[in-house]
Amino acid sequence: MTPLGEFINGYFLWRDPMIVGAVTGAICGFLGVYVALARMIFVSAALTQISSFGVALSFYLQRVELVLFSSLVGPFALSLILTVIAAGFFALKREFSRISNEGVIAFGFLTASGAVIVLGDRIARGAHEVASILFGSAVVVAPMDIYIVPGVAAIAFIIHLVCFKDFIFVSFDVESARLFRYPIRLLNALLLSSIAVVVAVATRALGALPVFALLTLPALTSLYLSERLKLVFLLSVIIGVLSAILGYFFSFILSIPTGASITLCASLFFVVGLVWREAGMGSKPLGTDYLFKWN
Amino acid sequence: MSSRLIELRDVTLGYDKRWLLGPVNLAVERGQFWVILGPNGSGKTTLLKTMLNLLPPLAGRVTSDKNGVTFGYVPQSKGFDHIFPVSVYEITSMGRYCRVPMGKRLSKEDKKIIESSLERVDIIHLKNRAFRSLSGGEKQRALLARAIVGEPDVLVLDEPTAFVDIKGEGRMMELVKNIQPDNNLAVLMVSHFLDVASGFADHIVLMDKENNFFQAGEKSKVLESNSLDKLFGVEQVMDRARNE
Repeated sequence: MTPLGEFINGYFLWRDPMIVGAVTGAICGFLGVYVALARMIFVSAALTQISSFGVALSFYLQRVELVLFSSLVGPFALSLILTVIAAGFFALKREFSRISNEGVIAFGFLTASGAVIVLGDRIARGAHEVASILFGSAVVVAPMDIYIVPGVAAIAFIIHLVCFKDFIFVSFDVESARLFRYPIRLLNALLLSSIAVVVAVATRALGALPVFALLTLPALTSLYLSERLKLVFLLSVIIGVLSAILGYFFSFILSIPTGASITLCASLFFVVGLVWREAGMGSKPLGTDYLFKWN
Repeated sequence: MSSRLIELRDVTLGYDKRWLLGPVNLAVERGQFWVILGPNGSGKTTLLKTMLNLLPPLAGRVTSDKNGVTFGYVPQSKGFDHIFPVSVYEITSMGRYCRVPMGKRLSKEDKKIIESSLERVDIIHLKNRAFRSLSGGEKQRALLARAIVGEPDVLVLDEPTAFVDIKGEGRMMELVKNIQPDNNLAVLMVSHFLDVASGFADHIVLMDKENNFFQAGEKSKVLESNSLDKLFGVEQVMDRARNE
């Protein structure tokens, strides 16, 4: 039987994880454009790592049997709480602080990364659990994820469709937004919270590495390919979905880790986009009818 | 609506609790064209931000018309992050957001006003172009369209000709001068260039935080004093300005 035939015959194995992966690819592709435009790619790295820390901490606390907190220490709840707190912290205004935002984000990323490895060492079956959190082993997803991930993604999409113009305005020109008495803090908090919730839910389902990749690479590829803002969002969603689907496909037929496979597929799209533009085929960016001119 | 739009009373300028200049007094009225002049680092932007209520004064009061004042703002185009793939139309439409509540879309009427603003500054043919692909002069005109699309009471320009060639500078200033009378706009402009101030303004602010120097008033009175010489240290500049 051909690899494709094997893949099709085994659909009952990959159907649910692929649905979760494709939905994650779509919402991460969409949100990733904000992440790339706001030049806060490191924020998404830190959030995925903090979310992983939440999952690892939950495993650890369950192992030490803190029964009183059993509902709070569930991987989903703890990951969600820590990620949202971190997003709120990153959204704080620190204009006159001696430490840059980047410095604070780096602190969050490094502390969470170190803590995940230390906790992994303390968890029974630690190495396997931590590896699946960090790199994604989404061959199987929890039954609830088939509802939770699309549900969270749908809510995030609705929020962003309603406030699309406002998020773009505040991200692009915060000074004018302040002049127009826009609720900048509220919008930033809403933007980062929506990213944080999606990251927390997706990281638990897929792992930190593929979620970080889906939040970053499709957006960077589409920003490279198009000059139209709305087309950038659409392309990023499409690339995110295709990266997840192809990632599952190659993972299945080549027996390679799913998270790494999704990440490499997203990277491949980026490289293809780069070559396509640089080789001259993209002298006219998608969605334009004029030659691109930098000033 | 009263003609006084913004008033600074015994205002001490500064930020992060650091004193910069003051106390200063200033009142901007409808129809006036103000230029804020001073050397680099003299506190011009701090004054502008204080007047716009973007920066709280360390002391004193900043009041605006009780009916509320709408601002149209032309920032320096180099301040924008060119990673954003926004078109001229999209960037112009942002100026209309002061009239469109959060979460609401632009109406047909809004879209008509955006088109007419682009026509007004003569860049309607560029509306689908990426903002980042425009020349310096074109960018400034797009930002001017964005500033007027919200039908403001005060047009605020932060060094609008800083990165524009002479031809573009003249065109930009002529556009501002033509737009001003339409809605009896007050214009508030920060500039380095004395010729711009003398050619277009009717009121001038001269300031320098280093010497705690602040003078504001009608152009003729401010230019008659020896303030310019004090501030820039060039007598010839004064002569040129007086002759214009």
